[in-house]
Amino acid sequence: MDLLLVEDDAAYADTLAQELRALEHRVTIATNGVAALEAVARESFDAVILDRMLPQMEGTAVLQRLRESGATLPVLMLSALGRSVEKVEGLEAGADDYVVKPTPAPELDARLKALARARGWTERNGDTLRAGDITVSPTQLRAWRADVPLDLTKLELGLLTELARQPNMILTRAMLLERVWGYDFEPATNIVDAQVRMLRRKLTADGGDDPIVTKRGLGYMLRG
Amino acid sequence: MRIVGRGSLRTLTAAFLALFLATVLATGVATYSASRAAIVRLIDRRIVTVSDELDDGLRPGDARELLARIDRLSRTRDTGDIGLELRDATGRRLGGNVALGRNLPPGFSTLRHRDGIAGLSEGRALVRDLGGGLVLTVVAETEPVDDFARLRLRNAIVGFGAIVLVVLGGTILFAFLIERRIARVRETAEAIIDGDLRARVPVNPADGAFAAQAMSFNRMLDRIATLMEGIAGVSHDIAHDLRLPLARLHSRLTLIAARAPTEAIREDLHGALAQCDDLLAMFAATLRITEIEGSDRRAGFARVDLAQLAHKVGEGMAAVADEGGHPLTIRADTPLFVDGDGRLLTQALVNLVENALRHTPTGTPVSIVATYRHGAAILEVVDRGPGIAATDVPLALRRFGRLEASRTTEGHGLGLPLVDAIARLHRGTLTLDDAGPGLAAALVLPLPKAR
Repeated sequence: MDLLLVEDDAAYADTLAQELRALEHRVTIATNGVAALEAVARESFDAVILDRMLPQMEGTAVLQRLRESGATLPVLMLSALGRSVEKVEGLEAGADDYVVKPTPAPELDARLKALARARGWTERNGDTLRAGDITVSPTQLRAWRADVPLDLTKLELGLLTELARQPNMILTRAMLLERVWGYDFEPATNIVDAQVRMLRRKLTADGGDDPIVTKRGLGYMLRG
Repeated sequence: MRIVGRGSLRTLTAAFLALFLATVLATGVATYSASRAAIVRLIDRRIVTVSDELDDGLRPGDARELLARIDRLSRTRDTGDIGLELRDATGRRLGGNVALGRNLPPGFSTLRHRDGIAGLSEGRALVRDLGGGLVLTVVAETEPVDDFARLRLRNAIVGFGAIVLVVLGGTILFAFLIERRIARVRETAEAIIDGDLRARVPVNPADGAFAAQAMSFNRMLDRIATLMEGIAGVSHDIAHDLRLPLARLHSRLTLIAARAPTEAIREDLHGALAQCDDLLAMFAATLRITEIEGSDRRAGFARVDLAQLAHKVGEGMAAVADEGGHPLTIRADTPLFVDGDGRLLTQALVNLVENALRHTPTGTPVSIVATYRHGAAILEVVDRGPGIAATDVPLALRRFGRLEASRTTEGHGLGLPLVDAIARLHRGTLTLDDAGPGLAAALVLPLPKAR
């Protein structure tokens, strides 16, 4: 992906850019809000990684200007840890996702890809989701595998919905915790893993092959 | 000194006023009796003088001459008010300008209204035996005007009463003003205890010593706030600066693990990644506690149904409890509302459930309870495991404090301190009780105030 990284901490920006490049992204660095707005006006990017705390112009102000100028590209905000209130402010200002600095690059990578994909999905905006032989209807709160209804709990259905919304896309544990459980913290037990194992058992109860791929140390993916 | 040392402002005021009233009363009584004694003394001297004058150079037994002198004296202006009566040795009245209703003893006596002398309400009398069978009684009023005693009492009441009223009003006002100024300091201190570190005592320059006191107090609070910010800043910086290389390490390990040549190396790398995750979790928990204690998260409080929250957490953790072989039950039948931060309460409950799952043997039942008890909302996790001895509770609540029994299990010793911080943010407490057997870890939260 073509990424614009807006970060005033040069050392951190360099490290992150290097890591993201290792994950096959092209990264342009802007050290302040004005430079970021100029860069977006000049080139086209797939997504922006925007630091919340920037000199002169705050991250939220940059985001507002960006949205006012008509730019719809996904924006992922970074903030220092221990300021949860900022998360709400960031999302209200129009950020698509919000993570706490420093986030491991693979986590950022997964989130950015999910954001880019989510754009395409919201445009289609169909009710029924399909991934391979799995069908999920979030509005009817029902799911099927190869047209056989699945007996899922509300939480399992939520988990399957998130995975089916973006098939072939890795969803990290942190992303699933946020979206399915609504937790903004990292639990000490492997809540996500246990729930995925439970879901897997139900999905393969009739003997089909396992549709969920485990990306070790990172998260899960539903085969499309 | 005991009263001064221990009494409250009100007791001191009351004691002072009582003492003051007693003093005023004593002064009044003393003044009254002193002036009365002085008047009696003066009157006595006067009647002695008058009787001396009458007796002066009188032949013994010369009643006629004496009556003539009495008549003269009665008609003289400055002695016209003196009462005089002459009797013989048998008590028969010989003459005079008054008639006494009773026989007075020789020497001084006090006369009252009931003695029946016209125009006399109180007076003194001197009875003298002049010799020759004549007994002279000289009477003088001790009251310059009628009802003098009542008049004097009224004057005393009005005069002293005014003083008492002024002092009483002044003292109560003074006590009230002091109390109000003290209350301002107390309110500020309570706001600070409550977590609002920006609270300050209002300063009115007209308050003099109180203003100086308030300013000193505020300067002290400024200093404490600076130190607190310093500590928070330092812990934040440390956590941030240590997290950055850790995150880099994490990224690099993940990337290496993705292209590990053998399964064994991949396993090792994932072990290292898990350790990285533990360290990152420790920083996250430390920073979360700092955030909860230092910021004003109460601004975002809303009505939260603890019963619903209990069911949601129970549902979210059912799979992980099931894998650990822990039967997880939820007892939260009726809605139970508190004012709070739903996300933080969720985190607190998840923490308590995780504690129960991790520190009890496989198969140990765990239950989540949301209930109303002793006027408080209770969100509780009860297990049938080994529990925590009462003496170990303080250690369990201390940051990085880990009990001997849990040293071998995973965890960083920040779980319960975090729950404790969340409880305090909600003006509640975290209690760790013996569930006989097992542990009952409860968030005891105040019920919402009626709106």
